[in-house]
Amino acid sequence: MTRPALRDAALALAGFLVLAILPLITSSSALIDFVIRCAALGLFATSLNLLVGYGGMVSFGHGLFFGMGAYSFGILMQRTGMPIPLAVLLTLCISALVALVVGAICVRLKEIYFAFVTLAFQMLVHSMIIAWVPVTGGDQGLRGGIPRPAFLGINLSDQKQLYLFSAALLVLGLLAMRHIVSSPFGYALRMVRDNATRAGFLGINVYRTRLTAFVLAGAFASLGGVIMSLFVSGAYPEFAFWTMSGEAVFIVMLGGTANFLGPLVGTGILLLLNDFVTRTAEHHGLVLGSVILLFALGLRKGLLDFVMEWLAARRTRDAATPAPVAVKGTST
Amino acid sequence: MDLNALTDCLSSSSCLVTQATSGFIIGMLLFLVAVGLTLIFGVMKIVNFSHGAFYMIGAYLAMTVFQATQSYALALLGAAVGTCLIGIVIERFFMQRIYGGNVLMQLLVCYALVLILDDLVRIVWGPEFRAMGMPPAFQVPPLFIMGGVVPPFYLFLIAAALLMAGVLGLAIAKTRIGKTIRAAAHNPAMVSVLGINTGLLFTALFALGCLLAGLAGGLAAPVRSLTPGMGFSILIESFIVTVIGGMGSIMGALVGAILIGLIRAFGALGFPLFTEALMYLCMALVLIVKPTGLFGREAA
Amino acid sequence: MTKTPSSQMNRRAVLALTAGAAGVMAAPWVARAQAKAVKVGMPTILSGRVAQLGTSSRNAAQMEVEKANAAGGLAGRAIELVVRDTKGQPQEAARVARELVNSDGCEILIDAEASTGAFAVHEVARDLGVLCIHSNSETSSLTADPKLKLPNAFRCARQGIHDSVAGGTYAAEIVNAKGLTRWATCSPDYAYGRDTTAEFVMYLKRFAPKVEVVAESWPKIFQPDYTESITKLLQAKPQALYSCLWGGDLTSFIDQAGIYALFAQMQFFAVNMADYTALTTVKNLPPGIHSGNRYIKTFPATPQNAAWGDAYRAKYGEYPTNWAWQNALAVNFLAGAAKKANSADGKKLAEVLRGLTIESPFGADGKVTMRADDQTLVDYAVGWGTTIAKEPYVPEMKSVAWQRIFELEAEWKKDKGFV
Repeated sequence: MTRPALRDAALALAGFLVLAILPLITSSSALIDFVIRCAALGLFATSLNLLVGYGGMVSFGHGLFFGMGAYSFGILMQRTGMPIPLAVLLTLCISALVALVVGAICVRLKEIYFAFVTLAFQMLVHSMIIAWVPVTGGDQGLRGGIPRPAFLGINLSDQKQLYLFSAALLVLGLLAMRHIVSSPFGYALRMVRDNATRAGFLGINVYRTRLTAFVLAGAFASLGGVIMSLFVSGAYPEFAFWTMSGEAVFIVMLGGTANFLGPLVGTGILLLLNDFVTRTAEHHGLVLGSVILLFALGLRKGLLDFVMEWLAARRTRDAATPAPVAVKGTST
Repeated sequence: MDLNALTDCLSSSSCLVTQATSGFIIGMLLFLVAVGLTLIFGVMKIVNFSHGAFYMIGAYLAMTVFQATQSYALALLGAAVGTCLIGIVIERFFMQRIYGGNVLMQLLVCYALVLILDDLVRIVWGPEFRAMGMPPAFQVPPLFIMGGVVPPFYLFLIAAALLMAGVLGLAIAKTRIGKTIRAAAHNPAMVSVLGINTGLLFTALFALGCLLAGLAGGLAAPVRSLTPGMGFSILIESFIVTVIGGMGSIMGALVGAILIGLIRAFGALGFPLFTEALMYLCMALVLIVKPTGLFGREAA
Repeated sequence: MTKTPSSQMNRRAVLALTAGAAGVMAAPWVARAQAKAVKVGMPTILSGRVAQLGTSSRNAAQMEVEKANAAGGLAGRAIELVVRDTKGQPQEAARVARELVNSDGCEILIDAEASTGAFAVHEVARDLGVLCIHSNSETSSLTADPKLKLPNAFRCARQGIHDSVAGGTYAAEIVNAKGLTRWATCSPDYAYGRDTTAEFVMYLKRFAPKVEVVAESWPKIFQPDYTESITKLLQAKPQALYSCLWGGDLTSFIDQAGIYALFAQMQFFAVNMADYTALTTVKNLPPGIHSGNRYIKTFPATPQNAAWGDAYRAKYGEYPTNWAWQNALAVNFLAGAAKKANSADGKKLAEVLRGLTIESPFGADGKVTMRADDQTLVDYAVGWGTTIAKEPYVPEMKSVAWQRIFELEAEWKKDKGFV
């Protein structure tokens, strides 16, 4: 392993340990629920950022894969009762396959057109979920709970164990995505984002690079869906509705696209904002909207991007003289 | 699926007329909203997600004016002008800051505006659904045209929308402002170098879009229930229309809107459970075959 | 990487800040000390299209909570209602319900959610074992399907199958009297719309075998425009039309169908018409629409019911909705159960609730019962009548004997494989 990869792994381990210790310090089950939701949406949003931030592909239909994950996993567990790890793996494969088909058609298109075709596919899948009642339960969703047979001594019916499981998936998922974006493929993807023509001249297969990113992003989004389906013990058509994609885009924006952890920060902000505002304010649209306006017009970029740039600016100012700043590029 | 019903209908003139006009009715309201979207995108390059909110505001304003004056003409005027004024304020305060910026930030601002406007409507008019009621002049039995049933109000609605389409098309094609708009759509920097105040042009164009959306709201108010958030579903369909027709093309918006209207009207007969999906399928097909839409120009 | 002392300082400062922020963030989650009041959590829809229904649920429950508290609360402990918005999203419903129990310390849930949200809260109730009363979901399977049954979950709401028996019986009488054999349906395309329509048609055909359905239209829920459905219905030329559209969708449909003169050509049976929200909103209400009762203060025609409707209107400045009476009743059931059990403990309340009968203005005969075997509400007022454009809107409601509903319901359960 290279040094940065080792550092990432160490950071991931540290992150997981912090999360693992958390329930020992506080007995708050709401905090535990919060982290589980963060894991689900965080993976979902980070996977979208593979496309948006690293690939320059703004997908409006990413919720398709979130829903796909929740439904595939839920249906597999309800119908076959297979071990959970196997169901998770199968779900990832199914979503990747769907992403391959959808992506093969979509990734040729540029910018706003890419956004609209992904949206169209998502709505097609959403209509199918609603119409295919015998399998999906239609608009009522998958009912009756998702069975969680114990595996390797882990019982996901216990909220604390579900918490640890979700935290582990989150950390592993993030680590894998981090590895992807720092691999040669990740740099090829960035090059395609910045200048597809030049990347083509340099021998990068633009189409294949985009498609690979799309498939990977779809698979990781479905992992988020799996966690959400375990959290609510069901799957609902709302998971595959376009608002879910909108929420992910929104999270990515809030947190920032230029930093790997931006979407995770965005998830935290959105969930906190959502939970706090729905608790206290009657007109939460008004409050939420104003906060977003403040972000979009005031900061003009995601929070983490803003903070990092601010820190970088301070550092250059502090280290006015000799020591050159060697951190350029860590942001991506 | 019920293909027999569809073929039966296609072979009967009464059914054909009735369903075709119903397609036009749906299409014309869509057109009024979509044309604003497409103009704003064509010139300012902004995907205005908040456009549906102006349709909602138009409908509420129409209801209020109608209840105060009992005049539907005044209600329509109030809806169009009022929405236009609100649009100007919003353009000056918010939109101007995001022109030429990051696309995602633009979306975020529009999304925030939708949340805020929906909640403001909730505060002003209440959360419950409202109805304006049909103006007395139109409370008459429907007409029978070639065996098809057509309510007079819908004839008025189609005529009003077509009139707007015609005026707009002529204005863009013939007038000086129209030429400026076309030039700005092509190359805004050049227009501004030529000494034309693009800031003012953008405001005017945004206001025009809002005026049309407000008018659509006013025209819809007698027959649709008014709720905060009602702009949402028409927005989605308008997007489909603009994408099918080609972003930036007025003709495209007209053709796309009628196409979607007809898909709905005849889809309801042949594929009653699949009408919605049919629209998305149509959009996906157009995008795959011709990504710029039926009437769209190749992006520069 | 070179590190200057100042950058390390920064890092420490950032760390301290983060830790501080984490502390602030965690604060609301630290469960507060158990107060004396019994907290009753209510996830419901306070924003979006159906906000009005959610608000009326909250209002009605609050009104009854005040009454119950004046009469001693739940076994001496005051009730404190904690209401949260779920925006009608199932994942929010699940989250809010969990949070209400886990961090707000609610001991009981009144689940004032519709459709999918109710199923999501049902799973939370399964998980946490908390006493949960579904007060708005009318989907029959929620309590009828034994696979979904929980000892701690009850339904205090009308149920699709009951309405359909009553509607089918009422419509069949008119069919047989007037010879209306050609029927059409126009209902929203989601589980409630499809199930309710299928059940209505099933009973209609059973009581009036000559009936045939010549056209069906399935608009989407919250669809703004029904023109294509209306023209399709006109083509089919039925003699009668059934619809379970509701709220703003129903009023839109009536306005749009009105200008096609649809109602001059066919009898209209709209189960959700006789609800004040719809009745008072439609400007040109065609006379003689057949409707089931949702909430109307003149049915049951008792002074108690009229008084309740008037009290609600006096307090909140609007008429109660169909969701209002159901939530009021949920609180009444809790109060009644606590009195009988002399306890506010969820388990004991659940024990007593099974089979509990209480006096109520909403009962068919002044009483309602929480049926023991499937833990759902029965004996509430069910009736059909024709509307007029002004108060009292439905001058005369015809009710169906519950004994008859029970017989047909039992048959239906057998057919569905629920028994």
